[in-house]
Amino acid sequence: MNRSCSPLQAVGIEKHFGKKVVLGRLDFELPVGQVTVLLGRNGAGKTTLIRLCLGTERPTGGQLRILGRDPVKHASEVRRRIGFVPDVPDAYDWMTARDWFRFLRPHFPGFSMKRAIALSDSLAVPLQTPFRALSRGQATKAMLVGAVAHAPELLLLDEPFAGLDPLAHDDVLRAIISEYRAGERTVLLTTHDLEVASRVADRIAMLDGGRIVRELAPDELEERSASGSLPAQLRHEMAESVEVG
Amino acid sequence: MDVHPIDPHSKTSPSQQLMDQVLDALSRGEASAGDRLPSVRSFAASALVNPNTVAKAYRELETLGVTCGRNGSGVYVLASGVETARRVRRAQTLLAFRETVLQALSVGHEGPSLERLLKQLSANSHRKDTKVKS
Repeated sequence: MNRSCSPLQAVGIEKHFGKKVVLGRLDFELPVGQVTVLLGRNGAGKTTLIRLCLGTERPTGGQLRILGRDPVKHASEVRRRIGFVPDVPDAYDWMTARDWFRFLRPHFPGFSMKRAIALSDSLAVPLQTPFRALSRGQATKAMLVGAVAHAPELLLLDEPFAGLDPLAHDDVLRAIISEYRAGERTVLLTTHDLEVASRVADRIAMLDGGRIVRELAPDELEERSASGSLPAQLRHEMAESVEVG
Repeated sequence: MDVHPIDPHSKTSPSQQLMDQVLDALSRGEASAGDRLPSVRSFAASALVNPNTVAKAYRELETLGVTCGRNGSGVYVLASGVETARRVRRAQTLLAFRETVLQALSVGHEGPSLERLLKQLSANSHRKDTKVKS
């Protein structure tokens, strides 16, 4: 991979569903090796943007490049190099985590069963229990293991904390943090949770009405967190951006 | 060394909170000279914070003269690190204590009653220490 090339480049991206404009001329770029949190309320267009990145939806207009490639035209190549954790675990409910990893392995040349088993062990993911009997937290962690076992360059996490109780929330957050690879792996995490964003983001982009309304770079975030509660400042910022937008 | 999650709502920045956790652990004798601090990744996972924030706290501890990094093998407490940690935390906590006392006096607490409270807290803390030791 060309290290200077952004793993995600969106120029003037539009996505319409019928007459409804979900993303409208969106410009967005992810810097290599950083954790970017995409903050937005429900319905802001976060999941649609992720689907475009995965190549499961085609943009209505504009240009999107994932790892330098068109994610629709080069879907299989792009998907091999990215890891994805959906908001709702989508493995078949009769599968165990081990079955799920076996299912994924042939699709990802770099998939290491050894890595998946070791990581499951360290994150306390049961390997022999079917998904239907796993807690939501365990299932999300199993999805995370499956998403990183092929050592992806880009990791996409779509609302991974949705539906988790507070203990499971922290457990999943801990698992996600332990899978960051600062400087190497680029992470895009979508959430509406201001506290999570404050804890883990190198950069924050705020999405509202299908556009990026505000971006906060690492030094800006550092300055803000030194001057008081970052979640409170983000809340204020989001409210203002929405009014202006 | 015990690590607990940082508070993102605090007025103290996340990296300062991490530094304080290390300085407190050293001041309390939970880690000593020559000990290796947790890896950046495990510290970040326990504190529920971005690893870059831990890396920043570690850099600042090194600048303070508390620790040193050894060619990728980890971050170690320097011989003078414990004393430096105590000095820094004593200065910081004394300043915070002074501010709190002034605030308490300004809203009507009497000096002697605050004094009594301090004596009581101090006696309790000594009793706890003796219990732990025995």
